[in-house]
Amino acid sequence: MSYKLADEKDLEAMIGIVGKDYATNNKAITASYLSKSVMGLESQIPDIVIRPKYVEEIRKILLYCSAEKIAVSPISAGLSGGFACPTIKPAGVMLDLGRMNRIIEVDTENRYVVVEPGVTIGELWAYMHKNYPEWAPPVPDGAPPASTVMGDAIDRGFSLYTSSVGPQGDNFMCGEIVFPNGDIVRTGSWALPFAKPFYKYGLGPDIWSFLMGSQGALGVMTKVAVKIYPHPKFKTVVVWGMSNPEDMQNLTLEIGKQEFGIAHNTVMVQGGNYPLVMTRWPKDKVPHDYEFYEQLGISKWWMNWECWAQTQEELDYVVNRINKMAEDFKKNRAKDPDGIKPQELHPKQIASRLKKPNKIAIPYSFWEAGFLFITFYTPWNECAHFAEMYCKAMEDRGFPPVMWIASIERCRQAICMPIICFDSTKQSDFEKVQEMNRETTEYALKQGWLNYRPDPYIHAPLTYSQAGMYWKYLRMMKKMFDPNMIMHPGRLALP
Amino acid sequence: MAKTGMERLKELEKEIYKCIHCKACRFAYSGEPSREGIGEYTGKQGTVLYEGMVDACPAGIEYGWEAFWNAGKIWIARSILSGDLDFSDEVRDVIMPCITCGQCSAQCDNKIPTVDIIESLRAACNEAGIPMIEKHELVDRLVKELNNPYGGKAAERFKWAKDAGLEKFVDNKEAKIGYYVGCTASYRQVEVAIATAKLFEMLGINFTLVGDEVCCGSPFFRIGAVDTAQELMNKNLEAFKGLEMVYFSCAGCYRTITLDYPKWMPEGSKLPFKTQHAFELVTRLIQQEKIKFKPNKELKGKIVTYHDPCHTGRHFGVDFEQELIKQSKNLMFDMRKIKEKIDKWFEIPRIILRKLEEDVGIEFREMYRIKLNSMCCGAGGGVRAGYPDFSIRTASLRCDEANAVEADILTTECPFCWRNLTDANELYNHGMKVMGVLQMITEYNLLEILDNPTEKDFLTSSIRELEADSEKKK
Repeated sequence: MSYKLADEKDLEAMIGIVGKDYATNNKAITASYLSKSVMGLESQIPDIVIRPKYVEEIRKILLYCSAEKIAVSPISAGLSGGFACPTIKPAGVMLDLGRMNRIIEVDTENRYVVVEPGVTIGELWAYMHKNYPEWAPPVPDGAPPASTVMGDAIDRGFSLYTSSVGPQGDNFMCGEIVFPNGDIVRTGSWALPFAKPFYKYGLGPDIWSFLMGSQGALGVMTKVAVKIYPHPKFKTVVVWGMSNPEDMQNLTLEIGKQEFGIAHNTVMVQGGNYPLVMTRWPKDKVPHDYEFYEQLGISKWWMNWECWAQTQEELDYVVNRINKMAEDFKKNRAKDPDGIKPQELHPKQIASRLKKPNKIAIPYSFWEAGFLFITFYTPWNECAHFAEMYCKAMEDRGFPPVMWIASIERCRQAICMPIICFDSTKQSDFEKVQEMNRETTEYALKQGWLNYRPDPYIHAPLTYSQAGMYWKYLRMMKKMFDPNMIMHPGRLALP
Repeated sequence: MAKTGMERLKELEKEIYKCIHCKACRFAYSGEPSREGIGEYTGKQGTVLYEGMVDACPAGIEYGWEAFWNAGKIWIARSILSGDLDFSDEVRDVIMPCITCGQCSAQCDNKIPTVDIIESLRAACNEAGIPMIEKHELVDRLVKELNNPYGGKAAERFKWAKDAGLEKFVDNKEAKIGYYVGCTASYRQVEVAIATAKLFEMLGINFTLVGDEVCCGSPFFRIGAVDTAQELMNKNLEAFKGLEMVYFSCAGCYRTITLDYPKWMPEGSKLPFKTQHAFELVTRLIQQEKIKFKPNKELKGKIVTYHDPCHTGRHFGVDFEQELIKQSKNLMFDMRKIKEKIDKWFEIPRIILRKLEEDVGIEFREMYRIKLNSMCCGAGGGVRAGYPDFSIRTASLRCDEANAVEADILTTECPFCWRNLTDANELYNHGMKVMGVLQMITEYNLLEILDNPTEKDFLTSSIRELEADSEKKK
């Protein structure tokens, strides 16, 4: 598939749509949108950047670019924190949707909030905290506050409530999308002109779900209705440590399978291994031996259960049940009973873990100079296998074996995220990372494990090569919305 | 041999590559979206919610494009290093309107020295033959001709001292202590110079105003004209040699001579004198109970707020942090101590303000963004000279924040901040009085000496140096 290189005439056309202050091909400005870290290493400098404000502007831009066959890549505003889909080859037009930053509606009876793409999780959290303190949006944990609500939605990411209520994508009710053919489509109940966004599966087959995970490759989402949840005052964090990932996996599954009364209160269930702590500091400024971390009371592996409840009594019940189940697991079923230990947290540590949103995921560059999250979904009872495989792959290549694992929907799935801390100034490190990524992806696909956000050059082609029929229909449907295939070409191994 | 900007940029490569483009650096309180504040306030520049995280990068706020926020500039630096982008007028016009306030650096959890990177990028841009913007060329020419960027005559540098009856301190050969006045206080905000010198006189300091003093070079280090800056540095080092202690009333000069000179001096050499800001001395004398303040009817009940100059506040805080990180053997343990030390540093002017509250009857009220999260006044980084409209709008944003706490008096401790805030205060009718803390003390005759300070008190090292020494001993 070939695309037209956007030129001065195209820039003039864009300026005609959004005004001269919001479209540019200035080389310094276009270069500033690069982002080769956290979620992908493939970013390319766009030819033109446009900052539209209104849906109609987006519609005109897409119609023009489609007619001219110019590639278009939308970002919501957060770059690597959220949408994480910077322009890749063949570059083209980047739509920076950061100016579309209105919080349009909050409905506490039907429990949703409507936002535009540029609303950051920090802004929405602060807005709700101030105006609706009884309610909280499902913001991602660890993603920087500058990442966006919509970016997390479309990636079906992990959020504050994911362990309890299901994948982040399920927290989004209805959306508004502009397609390159010029159509503006509203999904779910929103398809009816006077309906509230109260029902996702509104008018027969669900178009919204088709767009989830599309990474901007199908159209531009311009509004989304996000569920909000009660924000009770009674919260705490329970932590149990283990010596190995199997015990972490199996204890967590036992608790998750309880479903009612316990697991629904555990809004975030996430854990990992001790290098998660170590690699937040410069490589030459912290001890590397586990003995040091053991002395600090940090187990080799651990799991956090962040519990929310409406009353202290309810919270105590949940905490006691988790602790009793952990004791029982230790006594009767653990692989290494001696390794199963409760981890007492200082109130300041609990407060720090309860703080949302936070910057937990940011400092992994401090270890050397750059990091990459390579994230997979597995069935929960296979996450220990994944962890062992990936930690070995990282150690074999000289990277610290950093692993974060969280439960989705009460341990129906695991989101497993190795964090590759490397020196991005070294080409050899880049090559090692990519080689490891390819090998582990091939292995993972054989196990039936899926990528969280498939990257364009390794995950997507390897995955779709094993799912030809699915890819065929995906391509056909893209063709319907995006006849000239201009939306984020290459991103999902689609032209 | 001094390093070139490009060499310095290459040295910083690993720091530049640490940037993950998370954009936390655009906010004050970037990790605290639920931080309690004073709420929404509509000022002269619009409505701002002084709660949670607040946009705080002046260039980003002004220009909007990603390139003007810090993360965009770091990725421009990376593109230059990787060869994806060449220096050009377009690059210059994006990297120059940055006040180098360092808010971004303070927010970065990967501890990227953003100000160093931007200054090196600017120097490398100059070296690549990209002409300076016209207004920067003008100040560069003026300082080369007259040793100050204001076009003032060298012979009139200490006219303020003569006019204020302080002539005896000019080239006082008996003194071991110098007062480096700086260009802004010498040629523009003479109130600051007079207040500081009079305060020294009242305290009994035998000090000298050095006749050969020239511009410290701050604007030229900031805009990447490092050759000019180094020439000025060498002149000052020659002029002030032989002194034991040099005091400052200007945040920019203090930062430049204390932090920049050692980086640009020949390898292994140290500043030949100790440095500190005058407010450090006043704070120490308060703590030693050697001075207090007199009640004042005019000031009683006035709401006074304080603007942290970036150069004495955040720049020292961040430098302090970088130095202590270098020294640390286990940062996991030391980081809390580093934070405590930085907070102690920011407390120094506040000790004076709280004493004024106690003795004089003012009401000291903090703005929302303070200390490491303080919002810049808009004057630094060559922006006041190069982009005056943007500079003054930024100062007005800061004045809005002072208005939001109903301040009658906006104090600071830098004549450059004083100038910009005063101009914004007048231009946008913010309706406050802007003044230096030391200026308030002398103009309202507030100083009361309880126990005459000795020369030893005046020669005692800066709190900053004492803290660093105690850390090394540990």
